[in-house]
Amino acid sequence: MTDERVILVTGVAGFWGNRAAAKLMEQDNVHVIGIDSEPPQTNLEGLDFVQADVRNPLLIELLQEENVETVLHLQFRETLTPSEATFEQNVMGTAKLLGACSEAGVKHVVLKSSTMVYGARPDNPMYLREDHPLNAPKKYGYLRDWIEAEKYAESFRDQNPDATLTILRFGNIAGPKADTPLTRFLRAEEAVTLLGFDPMMQVIHEHDVIAALVHAVNGTYPGTYNVAPEKGMPLWKILGLARKVPLPVLHPLAYWSVSLGGPRLAPLPLDYLRYPCMGDMQKMRDELQFTPQYTPEETVRELASQQRLRKLFGKKSADALDEDRLRDTIQRRKRARTRAGS
Amino acid sequence: MAKKKRTPSAELVRTEIVEPSANGDGMNATTEPAARKTRTKRNAPNQAAVKKSARAKSPRRARHIMQEPLAEPEEIELPDVQAELEASPSLQRRSRKLAKELLAELEQLAKRIMRLSPAYHAESAIPDEMQETIGENIESVLNGAGAASILARVQKLLPGEMLDTDTLKGMWTMLKFTAQYQADVAKRRLTGDYETDEWGMDQEFVDAVLPFFNFLYNRYWRVSMSGLENIPDDGRTLLVSNHSGQLPFDGAMIGTGILQNHSSARFMRALYASWFPTLPFVSDILTKAGQVMANDENALRLLEQDHLVAVFPEGYKGVGKLYKDRYHLARFGRGGFVRVALKAKAPLIPVAVVGAEETYISLHKSQTLAKLVGFPYFPISPTFPWLGPLGLIPLPTKWYIDIGEPIRTDEYPEGSENNLMLISQLTDQVRDTVQNMLNDRLRMRKSIFTG
Repeated sequence: MTDERVILVTGVAGFWGNRAAAKLMEQDNVHVIGIDSEPPQTNLEGLDFVQADVRNPLLIELLQEENVETVLHLQFRETLTPSEATFEQNVMGTAKLLGACSEAGVKHVVLKSSTMVYGARPDNPMYLREDHPLNAPKKYGYLRDWIEAEKYAESFRDQNPDATLTILRFGNIAGPKADTPLTRFLRAEEAVTLLGFDPMMQVIHEHDVIAALVHAVNGTYPGTYNVAPEKGMPLWKILGLARKVPLPVLHPLAYWSVSLGGPRLAPLPLDYLRYPCMGDMQKMRDELQFTPQYTPEETVRELASQQRLRKLFGKKSADALDEDRLRDTIQRRKRARTRAGS
Repeated sequence: MAKKKRTPSAELVRTEIVEPSANGDGMNATTEPAARKTRTKRNAPNQAAVKKSARAKSPRRARHIMQEPLAEPEEIELPDVQAELEASPSLQRRSRKLAKELLAELEQLAKRIMRLSPAYHAESAIPDEMQETIGENIESVLNGAGAASILARVQKLLPGEMLDTDTLKGMWTMLKFTAQYQADVAKRRLTGDYETDEWGMDQEFVDAVLPFFNFLYNRYWRVSMSGLENIPDDGRTLLVSNHSGQLPFDGAMIGTGILQNHSSARFMRALYASWFPTLPFVSDILTKAGQVMANDENALRLLEQDHLVAVFPEGYKGVGKLYKDRYHLARFGRGGFVRVALKAKAPLIPVAVVGAEETYISLHKSQTLAKLVGFPYFPISPTFPWLGPLGLIPLPTKWYIDIGEPIRTDEYPEGSENNLMLISQLTDQVRDTVQNMLNDRLRMRKSIFTG
């Protein structure tokens, strides 16, 4: 690997790491190393997989030995309730990885975050700029971990002023495959909303998320960027497009039951069903120069049609109709054949 | 009390009313809060005497200038709402009639809004038992009377052409069409097939609520608007208005008036306080009606998109004003609106709303109740909260909305938005202009209810 760019992707066993690595490998002159604590379920052709935890102190050596140029950090467990284990993995993992990068002289790091870190509050501007304080409720595991991880990223930036650290804060991610707070909310049996509240929301397609991550890896864009289609949609419109009949609940009742039953009762924190929390996309347009391909309407419609397909055919036949699954299977058989031939 | 009275009968009435409605006092209250506390009803006559001498040519004036060069409605006598109402039974009758019309309009409005959000139609809208009772009633009527006799009765009641088959056919087609149309709207809304702009404004919703506001504008408050030519046909513009009336109807009326009467029918975006987004339905309705939460970022973004924006810098202090303080402008915020206007280089247009301050008679602000229910202020009026929601019916006063001449901000150099001196000067200038416009209009006004 002489003039190849070496990109290290963490969390390749996870959804985002896996897809981002696959997308990166489609390019020429790129060598992708994937690390995760367990091997990926779907085997990626040409992926240089190293089974390791990002918290391993020997990571510095790996980064130096392999001459890693860019790190795309996607190992992040989105859990609802905050727990010590996920904090250790998400926040300390990010901190240790960033420490290793700074030690090994990695010049380019890309992190994935969410616009939810701003927190949905009544006094929010309709479109939040990147320098807005991060006020998300700490009761939710993933929100707390994102904010903490971003704090470490900030100190990495201070420590390595000549390195390029890109943080992409995505809007609500949806898509046929992704498992995110919004998709969990839309896939639940009942879409519980707050009576009399209909906040605006930004929705970005999972493919656009991957495209934005790859775009950030391939370019030099230091800083933090909101990434989503600019135009928000009211929550009720999203529910309508997803063919869900909203179940409005009095908000004091909803807050009360969540405070008793914990965050698992509401996949989307209730504040986000009440107040707007949308990013200003000017920086994305002007500096990151990225444009999402899917409109929010398309995204929600696609999610809904996939849901219907599953309902119509049952899980098994839905899987049989699933393109990606078949593609994976073909790849697997092909690999088996080459192995048998050699 | 301090003011001159028009009729002896009104005077009699006023002495009976023990509300602290001495108008001149309100002005004192803004400058001498300590003095107000010591004041009681018993020494009110003394106060009046002091007041009269003050008016004759006062040392007080000088003190004002020392403090703030603010315009005060000193020479203006403010008529009293209750006195005027009680003096004229015809006014009472009319306001009662208008209140009934208002309730009918509200019902219509609710229906139109419900049509737009069909998911709010819970089954509980009419309880099952009630439906059963209605059904039973209808049945008993039909059985008892017999279809033939009913037809005969209907024939007697209706003019001949109503029973013509063609008329009936036409009516049926129309009914079918309306039902079909409503079902289509409901279906479209339920499947998310509608558009909102980036601020969440829903044009269909605006069209649904507009008739109600037109009713309020044309019939209920009979608003006269002047100075519309001061609002440019396009481009960023910031309207700055006084705020009053417990409920923010003044913003709605300015917006309705401009939409109705301005040559290019501009849509106005009013900025509302951060308390409203926390209220169910209110937040939803305000957003859908194109109004925007008030903060610097939103205001700047709107102006940069060349919208017509309205701000009410008095905020809660203004809208929750006590009756005795009417037409005495509160502090104009922290001048944030001037900073935004300077940054966006948008002209400031002062607006004075007269009449809104008398729609509710707030005698007292209860801090305990406000804290209890989480309101920024909780007014106690002769009707609210005693009559419940009915106490919210505003008085049908006559309104004037005067739009002043624009104050240009594009001549100041770059970075003026950080010039604190300039900001406070401009804030005071706008406040003075609004106060003077209020004073001018109040001087001309003869009656609260008929203008």
